[in-house]
Amino acid sequence: MKNLLRPLKKSISPIILIFICLLVDVYCNISLPAYTADIVDIGIQNTDFNYILNVGAMMLLMVAISVISTIALSYLSSKVSAAYGRDLRKISFEKILKFSNFELNHISRSSLITRNTNDVYQIQIILGMLFTTVLFAPILGIGSIMKALELKTNLLWIIVVTFISVTVVLAIIFVRVVPYFKITQEIIDKTNQIAREILMGMPVIKAFIRQDYENKRFEVNNIEFREVNQTVFKTIFLLMPLMTMILNIMIVLILYFGAYDAIIGNVLTGDIIAFIQYSTQIVSSFLMFGGFAIMLPRILVSGRRVAEVLNTEISIEDGEIDKIDDNPILEFKDVCYSYPESERETLKNISFKLEMGKTTAIIGGTGSGKSTILNLIPRLQDVTSGEITINGINIKEYKLKTIRERISYTPQKATLFQGNIRSNMIVGKKGASDEEIKRALELAEVDFIESLDDEVTQGATNFSGGQKQRLSIARAIIKPSDFYLFDDCFSALDMNTEAKVKGNLKDLKDNSSMLIISQRISTIMDADEIIVMDNGEIIDKGSHDYLYQNCEIYREIVFSQIEESEDLIYEKTLSKELLSKYENDGNSEMNLNNANRPAGGK
Amino acid sequence: MPRPRRKPPEKPADTKQSIKNIISLLKDYKLKVGLTIICGIISTVFATISPFLIGLATTAIFDGINSGNMNIEYLIQLLITVVILYVISAVFSYLQSYFFIEISTDISYNLRRDIIEKITQLSMSDLDKNERGDILSRITNDVDSIQSGLNTSFNQLLTGVITIIGVTIMMLSINLWMTLATIILIPVAILLITYVTKHSQDYYLKQLSYRGNLNGLIEESFTGHEVIRAYNQEDECMIEFDDDNANWYEQEWKSKFYSSLSAPLMNFISNFAYVLIAVLGAVLVLQRAIAVGDILAFFQYSKNFTQPIQQMTRIMNLVQTAMAASERIFEFLEISPEENPSKNQIEDIKDNICFKNVYFGYDENEPIIKNLSFEAKRGEKIAIVGETGAGKTTIVKLLMRFYDVNSGEITIDGKNIQDYDKHSLRSLVGMVLQDTWLFNDTILNNIRYGNLDASDEEVIEASKQANADNFIRQIPEGYESLLNEDTDNISHGQKQLLTIARTILSNKPILILDEATSSVDTRTEKIIQEAMDKLMENRTSFIIAHRLSTVRNADKIIVIEDGEIIEQGNHEELLELKGYYYNTLNAQKRGDGI
Repeated sequence: MKNLLRPLKKSISPIILIFICLLVDVYCNISLPAYTADIVDIGIQNTDFNYILNVGAMMLLMVAISVISTIALSYLSSKVSAAYGRDLRKISFEKILKFSNFELNHISRSSLITRNTNDVYQIQIILGMLFTTVLFAPILGIGSIMKALELKTNLLWIIVVTFISVTVVLAIIFVRVVPYFKITQEIIDKTNQIAREILMGMPVIKAFIRQDYENKRFEVNNIEFREVNQTVFKTIFLLMPLMTMILNIMIVLILYFGAYDAIIGNVLTGDIIAFIQYSTQIVSSFLMFGGFAIMLPRILVSGRRVAEVLNTEISIEDGEIDKIDDNPILEFKDVCYSYPESERETLKNISFKLEMGKTTAIIGGTGSGKSTILNLIPRLQDVTSGEITINGINIKEYKLKTIRERISYTPQKATLFQGNIRSNMIVGKKGASDEEIKRALELAEVDFIESLDDEVTQGATNFSGGQKQRLSIARAIIKPSDFYLFDDCFSALDMNTEAKVKGNLKDLKDNSSMLIISQRISTIMDADEIIVMDNGEIIDKGSHDYLYQNCEIYREIVFSQIEESEDLIYEKTLSKELLSKYENDGNSEMNLNNANRPAGGK
Repeated sequence: MPRPRRKPPEKPADTKQSIKNIISLLKDYKLKVGLTIICGIISTVFATISPFLIGLATTAIFDGINSGNMNIEYLIQLLITVVILYVISAVFSYLQSYFFIEISTDISYNLRRDIIEKITQLSMSDLDKNERGDILSRITNDVDSIQSGLNTSFNQLLTGVITIIGVTIMMLSINLWMTLATIILIPVAILLITYVTKHSQDYYLKQLSYRGNLNGLIEESFTGHEVIRAYNQEDECMIEFDDDNANWYEQEWKSKFYSSLSAPLMNFISNFAYVLIAVLGAVLVLQRAIAVGDILAFFQYSKNFTQPIQQMTRIMNLVQTAMAASERIFEFLEISPEENPSKNQIEDIKDNICFKNVYFGYDENEPIIKNLSFEAKRGEKIAIVGETGAGKTTIVKLLMRFYDVNSGEITIDGKNIQDYDKHSLRSLVGMVLQDTWLFNDTILNNIRYGNLDASDEEVIEASKQANADNFIRQIPEGYESLLNEDTDNISHGQKQLLTIARTILSNKPILILDEATSSVDTRTEKIIQEAMDKLMENRTSFIIAHRLSTVRNADKIIVIEDGEIIEQGNHEELLELKGYYYNTLNAQKRGDGI
């Protein structure tokens, strides 16, 4: 929690002022009933006009001071709480930006978003309330109790009794309602879910003509929703009438027992009037505070969630070396990786090398650990054991910035940022000229935009999956890099476009090394080295020809994807002889055919 | 990065209409609304009389002290009456809420039901015009705003109005001058509050839109975390964040300040009235115009009077949100349902399906399908291939009549499909789509969705045919396993098998397979392919694919580019053409390694 309070440090003097304002305000407020008592007991009793007017003037002064202090209080607390929100949001945002994938997976991304937005906002709102009502209530309550004691009546027990009854009623309602909060949330979720299912499934629902079925499915939930709503509201709405009644009965009791006191001569009428007002203030400040207490668990949850972010230790440390020699060689040596809190190793003893002018490819089923390998290179996460070296030096020794400058990384999910095409391309190379951008877009076959100022909406919803992939490829190739890492980023492109893009990328190859991940054989079969992964392990590596003959899993993948289309073509275009030759020694034919391949597309 | 500003939440565009809407919601509950109002009146009247009696009791005490002779019996009588009045008032106040809760929860129930029914009745084109998230937020947020708006504002307004009238009468019956002293500052209060509220709302809306920007930025930064780090964008990102954060702060504190001003101002007004009552009351007591107890009564009345006014700003906000919500809901409910004028039933396809010179575009000026003509004979397999965005899926949507052609016609057995009953037309077609749609229920029920009358045995038989039986039996609870929304308990490929089983069970004469295997890994794809081959036996099928190997066995392959047919024929014929199909097949086979 200490971290949560840190942003408050610079607001210490306004906070002290806030306290002073609060005290002044409370003092003014509780002095009023006492003055009233004086007016009644002294002014009226003695028929003293001047006294009454003097006291009235004092009261007006109090009212004026009170309003000034409350306005000052509002001003200060709005500024302090908004500044606190601003600063807390900033330090948590800054912290999260430094997270590695390790931390990102530990607390999920969507949760981080909520923590940085809603949770921070909740805490900030509460802080504002704390200054204005939450602190005010107990101070007012205590002040009123002191004032009530000063009146020297025998009626304090009435306040105690009221206190107890209020607490009991609150507790009973609380206990009855709280379980329903969870139920309500569940029903809301369920309603949302069914509604979403129906919305998304309309084509299927229409095709099966299941409209009535769906309406009925929703109806069941909807009826339950109504029942729960009624129960909750019918309980909660008991609160107000009961509280008002208890307060009013308290006043009646004070009058009744006050009358007996008055007969004995203990108290005067003004005292009773003042006492009524103090006791009302005591009970209502208790109610105010009670309202806050009910919200307390929720605040604590938000606080804990943000604190967890701030307390997270970042697993990646920056290195020292800020220079990488030209023509670097990157090597994986016995690299293992396992996700936090997972016993299974995502990567087991991975070793391979990336060299200039060489294309390496990784193929394997979903969950075989391909993407993890790529993430380790720009140190989006760090190896669990083993090491990755550049020019023989562990990459942990280099500055993060230095490594990342030399790497061009295209993630599996094509992420673009709200803005326009230009602003997204500049991410790839700071201060890139329009010519450079256009050149990169051309290479990535981005032929669907009108100008660099075309809007990109949040989540780039105005582009299709394939278009997003091409844009994110363009962003990756705008800057010359030593290592190009492509994580399955051709998957949404159709075959023709993919062929064209890859053809264009060939130019980059000479002065760099490439690492391509794919599920499609066609994407990777011409790579210099293909790494076949299964369950986090390298099964085999080598050229297509080598793997085709020696690697069972690789051949299986090839057959499932290519075999058929091979047959299709060869049946018609090559003689049976050649076909049988191919079957014995497929590789020469492949190269031959490759050479004859008509230049990409139609 | 220049980012367009988000729109702040609208106020109701047409206040009159939205008030009418809300009143129309209450119309069906005349009796309960009447009961609510009666209870409200009883409760408020009784609560309003009580301070007067308390004043009398105080006066009795004062007189008793002065005369030395306390009339205890009279006092007890008064106080017992007061207690009875308060209890009755509390009971009726609760009844008032009770009846109204029944109304408001029922209204929200009805609205939710109506919206869902509307969703199921709308045509696809009308559905597409509304964003899914938008419709969803109508069901949850907007309905909720109406319910809570009604719950609080109706009763508070009702009670507030009666209280103000009642209190004024009671005060006047005691003393005119004291009444004036109590209410003289109210107009000032109202002016002050309107002024402050207006300002705070301006800042609130600004603050909201800046917060939207900020939240958008945060969301985006965390989603694209890898990209930011891999491209060394942390500093740029931080600068942008600081900018947005500072902008938001400026509006936020002002918004908070102005909105928190109304409380001290109201407090000031009521304190001021308090002083006036005390001083003027004392003076009037000395002149024998009122009794001491009346001062206490006026303290109470003054509080009762300002309270509803204080609540008014809050209520107004709630009402406004509710009205804006009602506008969105009614606007949605008023969209007319999908038309289905023809009652001609179609039982089966006997001869063929024909597309004749079909043109179609979601926007008529931008046709997606141009001059499309082809014939599918009964029992044939038709493959539609082409690049993403070429219009392949649109063709089957037209056949399903999710959309209607702009010109040209689609016929089944020579008769325009627009002359058939839509439901009976759709009941001929089974679909397997790329996005598997399954709902939150058991696997058994999800497959049974294809034919609600199917027995468990039939369901299992269908899933055997779909190669799904094996994996289902490997899941701990088998056919009774619940599919949940994120459904991580089964893979995408397995979900696809379930939808195939569902379609097999539905046993339709026409089949549409739209990219059913495109996001599935290759081993699963083989299994799905087998299942689909079985599914297509003896049925007229349309297969959309971008992987050409899946379509070679089709009786006819249609190659679409930019909404036009550029090649058609069977596999052999198209290979001989040496056109698009031939080239693409080659590219796919070869790959294009770098």
